[in-house]
Parts: sequence; C-alpha cells; structure tokens
Amino acid sequence: MLFVLLFLPLPFSLYALRDKNLRRLSLLGAAVPLVSIVLALLGYGDRQAALHLDGVGLFYLVIADALFALVALYALAYFETAGDARAASFFAPFFLFLFATHGAFLAHNLGLMWTFVEGSTLASALLVYHHRDAHALEATWKYLMLGSVGVALSLVGVILVYALLGGATLDWQRALELSAGADPARLKLAYAFLLIGFGTKVGLFPMHAWLPDAHSEAPSPGSALLSGTLLNVAFYALLRYTALMAPAGLAGFAHGLLLAFGLASLLAAGLFMFAQRDYKRLLAYSSMEHMGLAVYALGLGVPWLAMLHTLFHSLAKTAAFLSFGNVLLAYRTKSMARVGGLMQALPGTGALVTLSLVALAGLPPFALFYAEFQALWHSPPLLMVLYLAGLSAAFAAVVIPIGSMVFGTLIPPRSVPQKRALLAVPAFLLAVVVLLGLFPPTHEVRMLAEVLTWKP
Amino acid sequence: MVGRKSLDASIRLYALQNVFVAALAFVLADGSVHLLAAGALLLVVKGILIPWYLLALLERLDVSHEIESYLPVAPSLLASGLLVALAYRVGQGFVLAGALMPEAVPVALALLLLGMLIMSTRKKAVTQVIGFLALENGVFLLALAESHGLPLFIELGIAIDTFAAVVLAGILMFRLKSTFGHVDTSRMRDLRG
Repeated sequence: MLFVLLFLPLPFSLYALRDKNLRRLSLLGAAVPLVSIVLALLGYGDRQAALHLDGVGLFYLVIADALFALVALYALAYFETAGDARAASFFAPFFLFLFATHGAFLAHNLGLMWTFVEGSTLASALLVYHHRDAHALEATWKYLMLGSVGVALSLVGVILVYALLGGATLDWQRALELSAGADPARLKLAYAFLLIGFGTKVGLFPMHAWLPDAHSEAPSPGSALLSGTLLNVAFYALLRYTALMAPAGLAGFAHGLLLAFGLASLLAAGLFMFAQRDYKRLLAYSSMEHMGLAVYALGLGVPWLAMLHTLFHSLAKTAAFLSFGNVLLAYRTKSMARVGGLMQALPGTGALVTLSLVALAGLPPFALFYAEFQALWHSPPLLMVLYLAGLSAAFAAVVIPIGSMVFGTLIPPRSVPQKRALLAVPAFLLAVVVLLGLFPPTHEVRMLAEVLTWKP
Repeated sequence: MVGRKSLDASIRLYALQNVFVAALAFVLADGSVHLLAAGALLLVVKGILIPWYLLALLERLDVSHEIESYLPVAPSLLASGLLVALAYRVGQGFVLAGALMPEAVPVALALLLLGMLIMSTRKKAVTQVIGFLALENGVFLLALAESHGLPLFIELGIAIDTFAAVVLAGILMFRLKSTFGHVDTSRMRDLRG
C-alpha cells in the first residue's frame, strides 16, 4: 500500500511530458492527490521496508495532497486565462514534486528522507524555472546552488548521526531508542549541521536568500506549492531530528537553537517586509516569518503547536498566493504601486486579497491567531517581548498594503479574469482557515504528534 | 583545483579525485560487498559520467575555458591553505568513536570547505557546479571515514540526486548562455532586496 502511495505520482510525471491537454492534466493533477489522501488514510500505521506512515507523516501528507489537488484546479483556470503557451510543462515537475513530497513524508529511514528532501529541491527548481526568462533563470540558479549546498550540509549531519548510532541503523524509531547512548557532544555537532542544512530549505535567517527570489519568479500556482508544501518538507525533517535529541538529554540544547533561529527569522522577515515593493516578494518574506514562528513553537517544546502553525500557514499562504495570482493576471505586474482600487476593479479578488492578508497577519477569527496566541501563552516573558515585536512589525507590513491596493484610488486592470475557479479555490481555503480558527483541531493534532514525544 | 586557471583541468582533477576516493573504498572494502558496490557506483557516476557530461557541456557551451574568479590565484591558494589548516584544527572534534579511518576525517572536511570556497569565489556557473561536486565528495569521504559508508540504497539515492542536480544545472547553463550570452553569475544581479 505504501509503495503504491509513494510511486503513484511518478508515471503521471512521465505522462505529463507528452500530453499537451491542459484540462486533462489538471484534472489528473487534482485526482492523483485525492486518491493519495484515501490511500494514506487506509495505510495509516502501515510499515513496509523503509517506509512507515505514522501520525506526523500522515498529517503532512494529507495537507500536501489537499493543497496539490486545489492548486491543480486553480492552475487550469490560471494558465487558460494567462494564455500561457508553456502551461502544460507545469505538470511534469508538479507530479515529480508530488512524488518527492510523498517520499519525504513516508520515509522512515533518515537517509531515505534526505534523498527525497533533496529530490524535492530539484523538482521544485523546475517549477521556478517555468517562465524560462532571465529572472526565472537567475532565481532558479540561486535556488539550485544554495539549496543543494544546504542539503549537502544536512547530509553531513545525517552521516554523523548514523556513525554516532554505531552505523547500526538509520531507522527513525530505532534511532530514537539508540540515541540515548550516543556521545552528546558529537550529537550536538550533528544537530547543528542538520539545523543549518534543513534550515536553509525552511528559509531561516540568515540562510533565506533563495526564498524570495524563487517564490516571486515561479508562476503563481508554483509559488503556492513552494510556500505551502516545500517549506513543510524541510520543516518535517527538523521535527524528526529534534525529537531524536530528547533521549540523549539534548532537548534543551536543540530548543535553544530553534528559539534563536526562529526569533531571528521572525525579526529579520519583519524588517525585510517593509522594504518590499513587489507583492509576491512580500508574501515570500511572510513565509519566512511564519516558518520562523513555527520553528519558534518547536523550540518551545510544543511540537503539536508547530504542526498546527505550519498547517494554518500552508492554507492561508496558498490562498494568498492564489488570490494575488488573480491580481497578476489582471494587472500583469507584481509591483504593489501599480495596483489600486481592487475593491472597485475586481471586487471578488479584492475581498480575497484583503481576507488572505488579514489571515496572514494573524487576526481572529483566522486560525493563525490561535496558533500565535498559544505560542505566546507558552513563552517565557523576555521571549514574549521579542515575539510580540516581530509579530507587530510583520503585522503592519502585511496590513498596510491593503489600504492602497484594495481601497486606494482605482488603477484600471488590463483585463478582468472571468473563470470561477480563480475565486472559488482561494475562497474555499480561506473558509477552511476560518473554520479551523473557530474549532482548532488541537486534540487531534496532539494525538498525531504523540509519536514525537519520547517515553523512556 | 583552487589554483588552476583552466576549466578542463579542473574537471579532470575532479574525476581523478573520484578515482582516488573510489580506490579508497575498494581498499577499505576488505571483502565487504557493500563497500565494493559503493566504490563501483562512485567510479561510474562521479568518476566517468559526471566529468564526461561536464566536458561535453563545456564543449557545446562555447565559452572560454578560463576560470574567472573574484580572487586571484595567490590569495585563493592562501585561503585554501588556511581552510585546510582549519579543517585539521577542528577535525579531531568530528572524529567519532569507532571511526573506520580517523585520519581521513580532516581531509573530508578540508574538501568540503574548499568546495564552498570554489562555489563562493568563482564567477562562471560551470565552476560553481564543480565546487558543489567537490563539496559533495567531501561529504562522501566523511561517510566512508566515519563508518562503512551509508547503506547502499541510500548511496544510490544520493548518487541519483547528484547526477540529476548536475544535469539540471547543465540545462540551466544552456539557457543562461542563450539568454545572456555568458555564464557569468557575477552579472546576475537583477533580483535583490
């Protein structure tokens, strides 16, 4: 079952190389992840060779598949409206990326997980490369180089962990049992490498340089996938390795590092966001902010809260990238200054843009408010102050642009996108974010996160 | 590799490096099928396939085969000397109990650091790829030195990933060349902030 789930997207990736029918490809793009969700629910708890689907894996797998399906539906409308001649070439990397994502969440072997994380870098680089123009090339090149170095450094960490466990196993469950006997000083070194390496892909400060370029140059459905699923893949690796530190008595050490990197990313992103003139870059930095917040929550020693935060962020950010995708379709520019009066020009999109930015800013009743409030609740006072400072900077940077872009003087768009899916998909995502804000699935996620807590 | 001015020489040196690491794997193998297979894999993918691809790429890209660097040769060599010294200085901290070959650990670290130096100081896209490959070799050597290498199917996965990354980088370089007329990364400065 797990092997079927793993390899399901792969043949479609090859098929998408040949097929040029956008409608068929995007329906497949929605159907394959939906079938995967069913398979994942059926296969929950299964174990086959180096694959194992436990609570945390299931959680992230279902989020990723749901987002892939929604993005595929949106992509059809988006590419048809854009009149993109290369639209069909979006789907081969789409399925390849889905395959790598499945692999990363299913692999219970730390080495295999590494392979798939690197694979997801390569597949998503192809998504960034979609437009094939000068900017896309520059962004892809930087992403490929920085991403590969980052992941290579994390491989040093994987090797050290493997050697520390006596070269006995890379199975995560076994590693959890064995890591109590590992040399703590060397394990610290390994963790530092892992944090720097996977942190590069999570977009932590100061290794974030690739993130805004890649997110802003990818086509909007691609940006949504990068933000909503790619960042989670690397974060998932961090979750697993942080759990390994507890049996060795290094939980405090790991948490300290995570808190520092999380806060640094939050504060840096808050500052960078003010300087942005381009709305896709603004959203990219907001991803950096939210991943910082999730890493911070992990550093507080509450993995379920970190998982909740990544869930809420994935949904809200995908909604935001798709809503702004409509803006890009209408105005053909990413500059915030050249977009104005959305509420008059495109009322539906205007409302979606407003709501998704407000959701990202963390206002109630949107779910991110709940996650941020919980994180504050668990923080010691000094960190609370820093957390609030970063949060308010990011809040202002996200909310201020609403004024001119949505309610400011009208700048007429070049065209008005008509397709219903362009509004329906982000609206659905936002509705889910509100629903999860009103009824946060805390209990359920806590149950799923149970595997991460080590019981002697 | 740090001192060379010619790209072809760099690539051949890289291939040679791989032959050495593979030979090391064979020597260490001591009859273990696993290490023999890992060495053979390394020899085929990194000793032959990747260098051959890079040389063919260079041929078809039709750019000058000279390495352009932010740093002239002398300071580059000095910097690499310092990095090697650093690797030996901190190397002991990386040697784990039961390491198969403790003396190779600083070498692996040095290779890793030199790869990063090449990546960050060279302007041509091709040289950055070579830097990345040197770095990756350092990681492989580290795995070999610390324990009997990683399990074989993971080595295989890593080799596939590396090869895919190099092929992708090659495709991008073609596009760079046809879009900008050069493969000089120092002139890619449009995206910032």
